[in-house]
Amino acid sequence: MFAGLLFEPTRLPGEAENLRTQVREFVARELPPDYWPNSDFNEGHSPAFSRKLGERGWIGMTWPKRFGGGERTFFERYVVTEELLAAGAPVSAHWIADRQSGPLLLNYGTEDQCQRYLPQIARGECFFSIGMSEPNSGSDLASVRTRAEKVSGGWIVNGTKIWTTDAHRNHYIIILVRTEPPSANRHAGLSQLLIDLHGEGVTVRPIKNLAGGEDFNEVVFEDCFVDDDDVVGEPGNGWAQVTSELGYERSGPERFLSAFRVLVEFVRAVGNEPSPGEAALIGRLASHLMTLRRMSISVAGMLQKGGSPVVESALVKSLGNDFEKLLGERVRLQAPPGNDRLEKCLRQTLLHSPSFTLRGGTREILRGVIARGLGLR
Amino acid sequence: MDRMIADTAERIFSDHVDRGVLDAAERGEFPSALWDVVREAGLNLVGHPGSGTDGGDLYGLLTVAGRHAVPLPLAEVLIANSFLDETGLTTIAVDGVAPWARVADRVVTVEGEMTVDFDVAENANLAGESRDRVQMRDAHRVDVPGQLYERMALSRAALMAGALEGVLAMAIEYATEREQFGRPIAKFQAVQHNLAVLAGEVACARCACDGAIMTLGSANFPVTVAAAKARVGEAAGVAAEIAHQVHGAMGFTHEHSLHHFTRRLWAWRDEYGRETHWQEQLGRRVADGGADSVWEFLVGAG
Repeated sequence: MFAGLLFEPTRLPGEAENLRTQVREFVARELPPDYWPNSDFNEGHSPAFSRKLGERGWIGMTWPKRFGGGERTFFERYVVTEELLAAGAPVSAHWIADRQSGPLLLNYGTEDQCQRYLPQIARGECFFSIGMSEPNSGSDLASVRTRAEKVSGGWIVNGTKIWTTDAHRNHYIIILVRTEPPSANRHAGLSQLLIDLHGEGVTVRPIKNLAGGEDFNEVVFEDCFVDDDDVVGEPGNGWAQVTSELGYERSGPERFLSAFRVLVEFVRAVGNEPSPGEAALIGRLASHLMTLRRMSISVAGMLQKGGSPVVESALVKSLGNDFEKLLGERVRLQAPPGNDRLEKCLRQTLLHSPSFTLRGGTREILRGVIARGLGLR
Repeated sequence: MDRMIADTAERIFSDHVDRGVLDAAERGEFPSALWDVVREAGLNLVGHPGSGTDGGDLYGLLTVAGRHAVPLPLAEVLIANSFLDETGLTTIAVDGVAPWARVADRVVTVEGEMTVDFDVAENANLAGESRDRVQMRDAHRVDVPGQLYERMALSRAALMAGALEGVLAMAIEYATEREQFGRPIAKFQAVQHNLAVLAGEVACARCACDGAIMTLGSANFPVTVAAAKARVGEAAGVAAEIAHQVHGAMGFTHEHSLHHFTRRLWAWRDEYGRETHWQEQLGRRVADGGADSVWEFLVGAG
């Protein structure tokens, strides 16, 4: 088989399954009875809920204890994340910091940075945004033009980041900037900087999405000073760091559960005696979901072994996002009329569905990554 | 799956399954030379109690066989030998149809009727594989393992998972060699993206099978098999379509070997329940538990 297509059969270990019950009990207790769940990880921002997760040790689960982590396995983290998403818990506040910024600091940050940020993140008190895309750099990430110029003791940053989820309510952002002029090697001369979103020289402007929500933003940096201590990793190593970060970003259950509530409401709408067509649709969607879970758990196993499953993650995300869209579209065609819950769910999913195959790497970029894994590029 | 079995099978099938063998089998000639080699290597007993191998090895071997489009009734032989004493070639019949009944020593039905005395009318599926009609005489009851129909359905899923890997390899090789507009067609983004989709389906098929193999013998087996047969069947359709598109008109010829794999995919996805059958089975079970247990059900099934 081709490298990148090898998904070892992987079973969740007993301790991970034990955790599942605890998460379910916690969610049942903490969410109000009239709570309208949504399994999209970008929906539902609740610092209070994130803090409670932090108290339970469910943020930064795999990190070392000396940085506030739980030294637990990627399997345990997998179970907690999928249970929270399936229940539609409001997880967006801490999501990026837990999934991505924390592990990035752990891999490339200094001891001091880890001490400073990781314990706060793990307590559910400190939230991060990702600063990659720019108005003129979307999928072509290496073309970023935000510049950081070296001055005594630090860097002066000028430029604009865009599509920055929750920048208006998060604490920090890690941005990809050019620290050297562009050269023949497009991937050289890029660096990552950690910046206080409420600091001087940073302006956050909301962008309304087509669903009416204001989750993402434009973030403008004007002569923003960044201390040398806030460079993440080696100056010039930004491309390698960003690439490794995307492995974490792409393989998790949030990449196939965004529309899960539609399936739940469809099952509710058709009742326990579905027509053959309705049953077949439920079964088809279930067969996809069960398979995607197997793949995602297998990737958790690769992360647990210290691997860097770039191609596998791209595959899970690509397949998962297509499934999320399929779910909404197929259920729509068979939805019994006059069911308000299901209609509400469908509408919400449809309005957000364009973002499924864009955020975290477009379908086109992911297929390119997979094609490279197949040796075609 | 045991590495040594996989390597042995890979070597034997690479050496002994060629275009000549495939075409002869399609004309109705049983590949007895290949059968002898398989028996000498003991591959016909993989999964047999006391052989030191298990169900995982059995389905793993079928995946390797699928990758080579092996024209033997290997699924039937292995699964029959997993619960009967081995006596020559035993084939398994469903709805009165059994692969290679014309050369079989015994026929056993999925319902558990067995006989050595039967009439055969030669017949083939759309891949040209022997699917003989059998009329059984003097049949007697034998103990068959529970979920035998599901075990057979998983055999088709495992064969398809292997054939899908073969199809992907062929499509990549062809796209890398075939030049148009002055470069290999693999360099065109449109082709790359189609191959990426194909690769995704191949990976899904393997994982769906693994999910079912992991629950062998448990109460969840019917659920994971339903998911596997449905999902792999869907993958087979998508993958065959893309593989042919990549191969262009050449792949539509009888001369090219691609059809030995794609026609099998089209045939196997229909055998032992096509996608809608298993989707409906699975969907009813999900719906049975009610909306608020959908997640619990999916996780519990594995």
